[in-house]
Amino acid sequence: MYSAASEEGCHLFDPGCKFEAPGTSLFFPNPWLDFGLPATSGITKYTLVLVVALLVAAGFWYFTTRNAKVVPGRGQSMAEMLVSFIRDQITRTTMGKEGDKFIPLLLTLFLFIFSMNIMGLIPGLQLPVTSNLAFPAVLAIFVFILWNAVGIRRHGVGGHIKARLVPGGVPVWILPVVVPIEALSNFVIRPATHMIRLFATMFAGHLLLAVFAAGGWYMFNLFGAPNAGLGLLSAGFSGIALIGFLVFTAFELFIMAVQAYVFVLLSSIYLGEAMEGAH
Amino acid sequence: MNERTDAVVGEEPPRASAGAVLSYLLGGLAFWGLIGWGADRALGFDTLFLPIGLLLGLVGGIYLIITQYVRS
Repeated sequence: MYSAASEEGCHLFDPGCKFEAPGTSLFFPNPWLDFGLPATSGITKYTLVLVVALLVAAGFWYFTTRNAKVVPGRGQSMAEMLVSFIRDQITRTTMGKEGDKFIPLLLTLFLFIFSMNIMGLIPGLQLPVTSNLAFPAVLAIFVFILWNAVGIRRHGVGGHIKARLVPGGVPVWILPVVVPIEALSNFVIRPATHMIRLFATMFAGHLLLAVFAAGGWYMFNLFGAPNAGLGLLSAGFSGIALIGFLVFTAFELFIMAVQAYVFVLLSSIYLGEAMEGAH
Repeated sequence: MNERTDAVVGEEPPRASAGAVLSYLLGGLAFWGLIGWGADRALGFDTLFLPIGLLLGLVGGIYLIITQYVRS
């Protein structure tokens, strides 16, 4: 995974050895199976990790709900807690009771995104699926299409478009200036930021962890140093990098949950807005 | 409907507003800036309509923020 420095076994003080920071090549793994189609990456590590994430999300529901009882066991009460969390914190606050029909969708999105994110911390895999823009993009575009479908179904095509393009309480003569801004903001920038927010945090977090790991590995040279003092110093610096790595791993876990929550919360806000119509 | 109004508009502003404010500003600058740049190109000016367009976009974006999120 963190192969920039580790593969060569290259350390501080080694002659002819230079630190190579992990770069964006981390996010473009070599394809295992390339079909040669234009603009595709073939079957890569991302595909494997995506399947694992999918199994984790599906397995969670299978094992927590297969023996659903009136008095829930430990797994079932965890699943129920998750459902009521999504309902009380997300759909009820943004859509009210009407939003209850979106609970299954948003719950699935939340768990799927969270399990895709958390793949960045599983030893051996260590690649958050959402650190590749394609995966958040598909989810955000799906929400965008649903947002349009909900709005059109509730208000008709004209009503939905008008509600999204013509801001309320604006004099007619200003409309030529603000309607294009509304259009760009609602139909381009918003879905774009929706996907980029998730992608960028996962990308940056993964890169940060990779830098800590690669730097710690590179600096550790207890026995190859010119003298014992420098060797101890390199081990000390390496230890600091290790502590940084552990601290940021814990922090990443938090970020991964928060980003899954934010993605779902925004989806819910958008859907609620589409149902509401003109504001 | 009432519940939603109570929950969201009651005390705090809608939570999407931070993102919406940003996208209004960006959208205004991008759209009208692009129009101004295109006008410069088409009419052979160096930079005349680009700043005008950027300004118009900025004013439009701020105007939208005020009417949609500050006054309401």
